[in-house]
Amino acid sequence: MEKTKSIQFESPSFARRIGGMLGVDFYRLFHTPMFYIFLVIAALIPALVSMGSFSGEGQVAGNAWNIIASNAPLYVVNDIGEYANMNMVFIFGGIMVSVFIGHDYRSGYVKQLFTTHPKKQDYMISKSLVCAFAMACMCVTYLIGGVASGIFTGASFEVNVGGLVCAIIGKMIMSLGWASLYTFLNIIFRRYFGISVASSFFFGTGILIIGAAAIVGNSPVLNIFLYGASVYACLSSNFVTILVCLACSLAWAVIYNLLGTLILNKCDVY
Amino acid sequence: MNAIEIRGLTKQFGSKQALAGLDMTVPQGAIYGFIGENGSGKSTTEKLICGLLVPSGGRIKLFGRDYTDADVRAKVGLLIESPGCFPNYSVWNNMLLQAANLGIKNAAEEVRKVLRIVRMEGSASNKFKNCSLGMKQRIGIAMALLGDPALLILDEPLNGLDADGMRIMREVLVDITRQYGCTVLISSHILGELEKIATHYGIIRQGRMMCEMTAEELDRSCPTYIALRGADMAGMERLLSMRYRRVEEENGDLRVYDAVAPEEVTAYLYGQGMLPAELTTAKIGLEEYYIGLMGGEVKR
Repeated sequence: MEKTKSIQFESPSFARRIGGMLGVDFYRLFHTPMFYIFLVIAALIPALVSMGSFSGEGQVAGNAWNIIASNAPLYVVNDIGEYANMNMVFIFGGIMVSVFIGHDYRSGYVKQLFTTHPKKQDYMISKSLVCAFAMACMCVTYLIGGVASGIFTGASFEVNVGGLVCAIIGKMIMSLGWASLYTFLNIIFRRYFGISVASSFFFGTGILIIGAAAIVGNSPVLNIFLYGASVYACLSSNFVTILVCLACSLAWAVIYNLLGTLILNKCDVY
Repeated sequence: MNAIEIRGLTKQFGSKQALAGLDMTVPQGAIYGFIGENGSGKSTTEKLICGLLVPSGGRIKLFGRDYTDADVRAKVGLLIESPGCFPNYSVWNNMLLQAANLGIKNAAEEVRKVLRIVRMEGSASNKFKNCSLGMKQRIGIAMALLGDPALLILDEPLNGLDADGMRIMREVLVDITRQYGCTVLISSHILGELEKIATHYGIIRQGRMMCEMTAEELDRSCPTYIALRGADMAGMERLLSMRYRRVEEENGDLRVYDAVAPEEVTAYLYGQGMLPAELTTAKIGLEEYYIGLMGGEVKR
């Protein structure tokens, strides 16, 4: 028998643990081409939408800011064009989260990670925050693309600036809730990358809320759901809208993080 | 204190019982050779110890503490299947990411140190995906060594290595236990190599521990035999069988297990008008012991 060592168990603080994990996740985010590809995709979406909406023969170019948000909260699908706004970032963002988290499992990084100090909840928190940041960045490039396409198609830029700013901030705040949902879905389907992507797309489109809205009508009650709150952030938004988005985003982030942590603790990780 | 203490561990995957009440004790500082045929539950046990799987029942203690304690798990370095590295990043960056997760302060210095231990300091800038299998295994060991681990869990680290790779890996493992006092749990099918380094063994079959023993106990359990070769092997076997109870043919040799000394066998055969062309004394190794224990049937 060789010499044995005296073992000292360290208990790093939450801040130190999450700091290390966030450092790794942000490094990965900024060093993966996928992040930049999705930023470009986000910038291209408004161009494609505005081409389809405004440039048809006989059509008059509308308000450029409708690319960012609708004029009023809408839940029931009447005109799909009115839904094709910044909310689409959350659909593509879901695919990005699936790729980002899926890589953790495919590379075997998670098995290495879970034999270090970070706990399962740290993993959920770190992924949710980094993916929320990535989606917020996508919102910014979407905004830039929206403005550029508005100029290109000769659309009107007339708007209530306060409402517009509140709508943009509200949607960016919603990134945290959406990122937490996608992280949670990717934890559930961690062994099946294809299903992760499909489920992210399914929930990202808000089909369930749109379906519910078709039954209950254009109800403010739907604002407590992610898609509802995201749609609530419209050009007629005000400070209350931001608070609703913040409360909704935080509440769902907490719920999805707790559920994800529970699954990671109770189920096989790798 | 034991590094690993497992009692009554069970693991069920659907209807398949992977572990059926496994007991295991790994003393601190040991190099524990974990042996078993494919599907016997070695990798499942290792993943359970690392917290990657959730047990269906039983108890796992690492250094006297519950294995779910993240601070205890941080003292475990692992190489299971392959290292968990991002293929497009360099070896160096992959190591730094792991160091960041471990909260290592002088990360660059620590990474340099572990790469030196596994003799990979010259390949740090290579992309992980461009490394050979042997290099990847050594990177996996280096990664496992980050953060001053007290326990290393290595699943088939010798697989796919050439003779030189195996020698380096063997030296590295012995160095780790000598210099750092690490406990090593290593599973491998390459029993000849395992035998050169292991201080303790555990043999698992169908999710249960068949036996645990020290290298000294194994040595005592492995019988010595006299191996003979000659022109008339059949005649020699017939003669030897008349005098000795256990005479077997193995790899073209005749093995006499219950002979006292080679001179005695030579004298006996000479008396019968026959002389062996070759005669050696040897001991059965871990591999033969293991095959014998499995009743001659080993799936690998």
